[in-house]
Amino acid sequence: MSYRPVLLTILVVPLLFAADAPNPRIYEVPYKTTLPKHIVVRVKINKKGPFNFILDTGAPAMIIATKVGEKAGLSNGDDGWAVMDRLEIEGGPTLVKTKARVETPFQLEGMNGLGLAGMEIHGLMGYHILARYRMEIDFTRDKMTWTELDFNIPQPGRIRGGAGSAGGLEVMGTLMKNLGGFLGRKPNPEITLRGFVGLTLENGDEYPTVVGVLESGPAGKAGVRKGDFILKINDRSVTSVGDILRFAARKPGGETMIIRVKRKDGEQDITFKTGEGI
Amino acid sequence: MKKLSFVCLSALIAGFCFAEETKPAPNPVVVPFEMLKSGHMAVQVKVNGIGPYLLIFDTGAPTSLVNNKLAEEVGLFKGKFKSPFAMFGSQGQVKIKKLAVGDQEAEDLEAMIMDHPTVDTLSRGVGKALYGIVGFPFFARFKLTLDYKAKTMTLIPSGYKPPDVTKAIVAGLLSSGSKTLAPSAQWGMVASKEVGDDEDGVDVKEIIPAGAADKAGLKRGDRLLTLDGRWTDSMHDLYEAAGFVKPETSVVVKIKRSGKEVELKVTPTKGF
Repeated sequence: MSYRPVLLTILVVPLLFAADAPNPRIYEVPYKTTLPKHIVVRVKINKKGPFNFILDTGAPAMIIATKVGEKAGLSNGDDGWAVMDRLEIEGGPTLVKTKARVETPFQLEGMNGLGLAGMEIHGLMGYHILARYRMEIDFTRDKMTWTELDFNIPQPGRIRGGAGSAGGLEVMGTLMKNLGGFLGRKPNPEITLRGFVGLTLENGDEYPTVVGVLESGPAGKAGVRKGDFILKINDRSVTSVGDILRFAARKPGGETMIIRVKRKDGEQDITFKTGEGI
Repeated sequence: MKKLSFVCLSALIAGFCFAEETKPAPNPVVVPFEMLKSGHMAVQVKVNGIGPYLLIFDTGAPTSLVNNKLAEEVGLFKGKFKSPFAMFGSQGQVKIKKLAVGDQEAEDLEAMIMDHPTVDTLSRGVGKALYGIVGFPFFARFKLTLDYKAKTMTLIPSGYKPPDVTKAIVAGLLSSGSKTLAPSAQWGMVASKEVGDDEDGVDVKEIIPAGAADKAGLKRGDRLLTLDGRWTDSMHDLYEAAGFVKPETSVVVKIKRSGKEVELKVTPTKGF
């Protein structure tokens, strides 16, 4: 008689399958992290953006910095909430007619004022948005997996005047922002784009080797050839492709680059200006 | 019957895969959480085996916080000077030997001892004692699945070692405040964005013959909308998105060509 429980299990399995929602939508949501390791997702609100929002289970709703709210044409209504006609999250999740609070939280003032995040943060994405998805967060991957849940959470209720005071901490936000002014820091770092060279590389037995040359690229035009070994870049010895890419990653377009190559007929320096492109 | 045989098959494959593994995969631990009426999630936490205490689970917190009461009860002050004049009872950073959220334990975690006014306010608001916040140093170690409908979080060790956030902040403050965005692989294309162009995407200005983009069928004049699922609405966006893609991995780019959206697969090469 011992087969009975076995049979039962097999019967239960298809039932579980049937109980699942019919093809829930699954999204791969890209994210980046701030210097203090907040998870940041990008959104467009009413077609404006992209804006950087911290994925924050510690926030009860979506909170949008005042400046961003203005850009997206949002203002808080009588119940204390603004309504986003369209909220688009990078990777695909899209919500319509969703409530958010337009207000600059003190945490953001401080973080942006000191340039603490390494990017300007435009708001917090909390419970009322997050609860609609089953979210898989894994720092060994560069995307999260969000599965749409059949879960209609109530829209946030009326905000009473004066509620939600942070008990003195908002002073710290302003304090930090002013401190940032003294230090001359901006929320967004100054950004340059890396220059283009046009070589494909592989690690060789001894030296990194050029395995492909884009003829119309800067290095190709200057005479770097397929089969060349790379010994140095700008007088710096390189021993692996990783080495070269890390070094070159800090060189903006338009800079002079000198590559020392080794061929059958000896070594030579080849000089060119890095171009633009990826 | 088709469904049934499929289930059996996958069960067989799973068994086979496990047999091949040298180390057994870590078991997922399911931890229930309580949804507070304030919209926050709270979990039962044991510190060094003592508890449980109710703490807020906060993906937006770069560090974990425990209040003075908890710290006192579990003995975090041992051998530590306790300042009586600290703002919000802040007693600085400690290392917690063992912290368990539900049945999932983690060792040697950074935390701050502090009576955070927001936690206190919340505590009064929901009428429950809240002892602090569980943040990044704990959850970053796991593949974390949050499910608000089931009110559970599922944790599987991911092998990720969270860096010391305090050090990261200091390093950030000392940095020059400028950075160069670099692709991680070679695509063989030049893009541009005109001043005043507010539409989605960037223009493909040039395709370098025989490069990865060329081979994938990208053309000059295409409007590049996304690269590996990331919006490319500015040159910064484009370079940042390309920074996430490792050489020799095939990814989807979405373009607009003659008014139609098209998806192409591009495999960028190891180069620069």
